Amino acid sequence: MNYNRPELLDRLAAEYVLGLLRYRARARFERLCEALPAALTARQRWEERLLPLSLALAPITPDAARWPQIERAIAAMNGGGAAPRAAARSAARRWWPVALAASLIGVALLVGRLTYWSEPTWQPIAVLAPANAAPLWRLERSADGAQINIRALGPIALSAAHSYELWILPSGAGNPVSLGLMPRQGKVERRLTPAQRALLAAARQVAVSLEPAGGSPTGQPTGPVVIIASVVRTS
Amino acid sequence: MAPALDGNELDELLGRCARRDAAALQALYARTAPQLLAILVRMLGTRAAAEDALQDAFVRIWQQAGQFERIKGRAMAWMVAIARNRAIDLQRAARPTLLLDAAELAGAEQLRVEGAADNAEFAATHAALRRCLELLGASQRLCLLLAYQRGLTQERIAFSIGQPLGTVKSLVRRGLQSLRACMES
Repeated sequence: MNYNRPELLDRLAAEYVLGLLRYRARARFERLCEALPAALTARQRWEERLLPLSLALAPITPDAARWPQIERAIAAMNGGGAAPRAAARSAARRWWPVALAASLIGVALLVGRLTYWSEPTWQPIAVLAPANAAPLWRLERSADGAQINIRALGPIALSAAHSYELWILPSGAGNPVSLGLMPRQGKVERRLTPAQRALLAAARQVAVSLEPAGGSPTGQPTGPVVIIASVVRTS
Repeated sequence: MAPALDGNELDELLGRCARRDAAALQALYARTAPQLLAILVRMLGTRAAAEDALQDAFVRIWQQAGQFERIKGRAMAWMVAIARNRAIDLQRAARPTLLLDAAELAGAEQLRVEGAADNAEFAATHAALRRCLELLGASQRLCLLLAYQRGLTQERIAFSIGQPLGTVKSLVRRGLQSLRACMES
């Protein structure tokens, strides 16, 4: 689609806001909004035009038990209590065993929920293979681009003194941006920050470097880059 | 009657959420959750599914508050979009079999934009939408309402109103064009 034609962009935005785009097209349009201000503006205009239809509905009070559940989920996300302010922190000192248990339950619920959100919709980003060697990992993203999934394709031999670290190579002149450490076996799912998400959506390549255990101490690759792989374009 | 939703206050609360102030999220929840829950119940059909989606939406609001651009009065539109997107994702994932009967279709047609606007800022859009929806053909209006308020796909709208998919697509497209032209006039 030619996104330079305002009427087409507007139609796409309207269909997105109405909820008529299919899953992949929705995800594609969301990425487009991150890259193209005109798309975001068109989408916001339609959100505002149709908002009265949402606000016309008679409000329904949620169950009283719902807010504590949200609070727990958020506390778990913040590492078990980064968000609440001073008063809450002093209370947390008294209640830490309860809070810890609640946090662990919260984490479990949240992980389960995040996994559930994204389970059926992984899309390939790249197959990571050293030059002239078999692939070591598959890199995938959720359809909405908010998470990545890194699967080791077999046990990865590596000394305990080192880690492999994944990098986005930005399409422009920017420095590599870390996406965290690679698993030595199995898979890891990782939620991206908005900045990582935007960079990955626009990137043409990702790389894997060999780093000290725990990852690069500088925030930039310090060891040899062992893999550079092209990013699959889905749009 | 819901408390008036003051756009500036919501902007302020979202800004505090971006600075990781959990009390602000609680205040935001108190102000907006009943309206968001109404939207989700309408889209997902059951109270239980809607409350789960509401929880997901507030977790996302907390996570994404830093991305909210402080454009005056946009806070509610931004939060409604997060809630609606969550409902749309859930509906698509669940492949629901929800179909509407004649009474529900009649109900959808009555879902006009009622009530007074909560603030002056919003009043112009509110009045324009009401006027412009009335000007659409009945079938166009029904298709747009079923999509937006019930979250139905075009295939399910076609099945629900007994029209071919191609007809529904063109009703939606023409309805959107007319609505936009009318609201900008």
